[in-house]
Amino acid sequence: MRIRRIQSTLTRAFALIVVLTIVLLGSVSLSFLKRTLVDAAKASTMQFASQLSRIVDNYISYMDDISLVVSDDAGVRAYMEAPRAASGQDRAKIVRFLSSIRKVRRDIDGVFLLPLGNGKPGVDIGAIIASSPGASLNSAYDFSQYPELLGDLPVSSAHVENMIDGRYPWVISLVRELHGDSGTLLGYIQVDLNYAVIDDLCRNAQMGLTSPGVPAPRDSGYVFILGASGDIVYHPRQQLVYGGLKTERIAEILALRRGSITEKADGRDLLYTARPSDKTGWTIVVVSYLSELLSDSRRAFYTFVLLALLCFAISSIVSSIVSLRISRPIESLRRSMQEVERGNFDIDITVESSNEVYQLARDCDIAVKKVRDLIEQNRKDSEQKRILELRALQAQINPHFLYNTLDSIVWMVELGENEEAIDVTSNLARFFRLGISRGSEVITIRTEIEYLETYLSIQKTRYKSKLDYEVSFQPELYDYRILKLLVQPVVENAIYHGIKNKKSPGIVRILGEREGRTMLIRVTDDGVGMGEERLAAVRALLATGDRTAFDGQAENALSGVGVNNVQERIRLYFGSEYGLSFESRQGAGTTVTIRIPLIAKGELGEETDP
Amino acid sequence: MRDRSLIPMLGLALAAALVASFVYRGEAKPERQREKIVAIFKTGSASNAFWSSVRDGVESGAQDYGLDLSIRSPRDEIYVDEQIEIMKGAIAERPAAIVLAACDYHRLVESVREAKAAHIKVVCVDSFIETEDADAKIGTDNFEAGQTCGKALLRCLGKGSKVAVMSYVQDSSTAIGRESGLRNALGGRATVIGTSYSSSETDKAYAQAKDILAKESSLRGIAALNLPTLLGAAEALEESGRSGSVVLVGVDDSAEVMRYIEHGIVRDAIVQKPFNMGYLSMATVRELLSGKKPERYTNTGSVDINKANMFEPENQKLLFPVDGN
Repeated sequence: MRIRRIQSTLTRAFALIVVLTIVLLGSVSLSFLKRTLVDAAKASTMQFASQLSRIVDNYISYMDDISLVVSDDAGVRAYMEAPRAASGQDRAKIVRFLSSIRKVRRDIDGVFLLPLGNGKPGVDIGAIIASSPGASLNSAYDFSQYPELLGDLPVSSAHVENMIDGRYPWVISLVRELHGDSGTLLGYIQVDLNYAVIDDLCRNAQMGLTSPGVPAPRDSGYVFILGASGDIVYHPRQQLVYGGLKTERIAEILALRRGSITEKADGRDLLYTARPSDKTGWTIVVVSYLSELLSDSRRAFYTFVLLALLCFAISSIVSSIVSLRISRPIESLRRSMQEVERGNFDIDITVESSNEVYQLARDCDIAVKKVRDLIEQNRKDSEQKRILELRALQAQINPHFLYNTLDSIVWMVELGENEEAIDVTSNLARFFRLGISRGSEVITIRTEIEYLETYLSIQKTRYKSKLDYEVSFQPELYDYRILKLLVQPVVENAIYHGIKNKKSPGIVRILGEREGRTMLIRVTDDGVGMGEERLAAVRALLATGDRTAFDGQAENALSGVGVNNVQERIRLYFGSEYGLSFESRQGAGTTVTIRIPLIAKGELGEETDP
Repeated sequence: MRDRSLIPMLGLALAAALVASFVYRGEAKPERQREKIVAIFKTGSASNAFWSSVRDGVESGAQDYGLDLSIRSPRDEIYVDEQIEIMKGAIAERPAAIVLAACDYHRLVESVREAKAAHIKVVCVDSFIETEDADAKIGTDNFEAGQTCGKALLRCLGKGSKVAVMSYVQDSSTAIGRESGLRNALGGRATVIGTSYSSSETDKAYAQAKDILAKESSLRGIAALNLPTLLGAAEALEESGRSGSVVLVGVDDSAEVMRYIEHGIVRDAIVQKPFNMGYLSMATVRELLSGKKPERYTNTGSVDINKANMFEPENQKLLFPVDGN
């Protein structure tokens, strides 16, 4: 498993939280900003459209005023009432008047008087008067449809004017009915506006739409004008629209009349804002690119992204520092523990911190120190065991026992008791073989019994009838294990201090039995026994194990170091609940109980099969 | 330790900043490298309304599609060699694309192949070449235009009437298409007395028409297949005063043609859409350069214009160019 550092986990978590917060807040506020901006853009575009429509209306009003001036002219009225009666001079005068108007206003393409004559427009062709002196009227002009051509409105849509022969200008016509004093319709006064005027007007307006410094025409908005019937009066890309290469959403805009719609075109969002003009029946349509209108929101977006990155960087640093403060003590604790892993227990685990980590470090420190003490204890114990084993060996090879036995053998040989001598010698040999050889510390009860019997039979050779003995273990115990040289020193003690000083013959009994998970080996003699005082001294010695604290009394009571050594070994191997206990009465004998745990094969490890 | 975990975080922040700045730059698009396009027309004459309309369309399209356009033309459409030279010069400049109105149906094939071999896209506009070497072609279906012309004649003529065909350049694809369309429509119902070629010169056409009118007293119809020819024929017919008995139809329009229609000299004019032709050629170039596959042939269409329909709003828009576009 990959180990993740706390620091990086924390840093990552911090970063995630920061990023999530930023993204969430950002998207909400940006969409809000966007909506606000769109609303503002709609409002300002509508205002712009209204302004433009007012300009157009004003312009048309002005043109209307001019046609009013014409209609109020006395000469014109006279001519319109009786066109046929007019002399050539009268006509020339009217032409001069009309052409002067045209000269003053270059945006006027032409002024025409169309008297009704016999009541139908256009029938009296020759009577039409145009503002251009010298220009011949188009003899093929079809007046039958006049004024239907212009529709119901006083202002026509953009159209080609063909009243003058061979000229086909695009114009917008303003037509005023001229009524006589009696109210009868005399005819029409038509003022043709140069189409270029509307073009200029809208182009100038378009400049207003373009942000300064962004001259690209594709990115700024544009203005177009729809006629009452949905035809295009003006469009900046007129040729494209007329050629069918560009279409506008005319039906939707007409249905809308006034307001805004957004449309998608060429993958861009367009805002159409329509505003009908009051006087002309036209609809001014302002088209703006939402992307342009929303450039503020885009700027906000980038500012936001930069801020977000800044926050992110700051949070990264802060979270790194915070997590470092958390993880540094842990890291230092970890390093200490790594030292421990390598086996170095001689360290002080101290962590500069004041939280749980500090407590943890302190606990670790205590644990490590305990482990260190235990190791030390273990080491001491092992050393002790070795010393005790050596002592046990020394005790076993009690020189007096050997000298005495050898003396016995000598006597036997001298007395010609060869059989007995052979017995003792071979027993002695077996005794030492069993005791010294087999480097193993642990032996079976079976072997122990053999050993004890060998020992006792040697002693029996010496003490003859003065010593009797009995070794009896429950057979189920035979395969359990026992530490070597546990029982023999106790038996030796019983013989030397119990039986030897007794006048009458004595008996040593060695009984082994099981008590739950414990094995009890009782060594009983019916020897001299011990007085109260001595028994207390012996018990005290066994309890403390401190030989030096006592005088030789207790020491003497236990044959040399032997019995005390047994007690120490048992305690060392099995704990203080095991060991020796003495029962004795002066003159009645002594019982020593060896209490050890029931040990099956292999439980003490270092064992080789006998 | 501190550095090791800070580095990826800062790295991430830096990467995000980079991405953001990249997006930002993408938004504030620098002026795109405009591809160089050479348009080679048949004539540079400013008086030719048809070609100035094509020019308007091409310029408008080049602006809309972000192309760096240069327009070249021979003196007139009969100067095929001159156009071949212009092609050579253009190929040497290695533009991204060449838009060509071929003066000759056969002789420009080699030039187009050379351009293609130099990995230059070629779009034929109005007049095509014999082979399919060009990447795309845009123009009027001239056979169809010729047929419309013939039908217009038949509407006004009795069966078996004598008709003169006045064409312009013999080996021009448009002339070939129009004449075969015309003959196809006339079928057996009119007698074609011959074809003349005006070299797209109004004066020559005028002389030719005058000559025919003088020779053929029983002539009932004239089909003039392009603008200069039509103007020449109309002038001759107006002068002759026989517009009542001789039906003149033609291809292409101008203000003059409109005047002739209004006054009954020209009965029908089959009007092409030169602006659209020019504009769409740029759209097609843009598609080609963007690696898209545009239509191999775009028919821009033609409309039959006569006195009755010329002032209909739709036709007004087509016939009379609006200034300031």
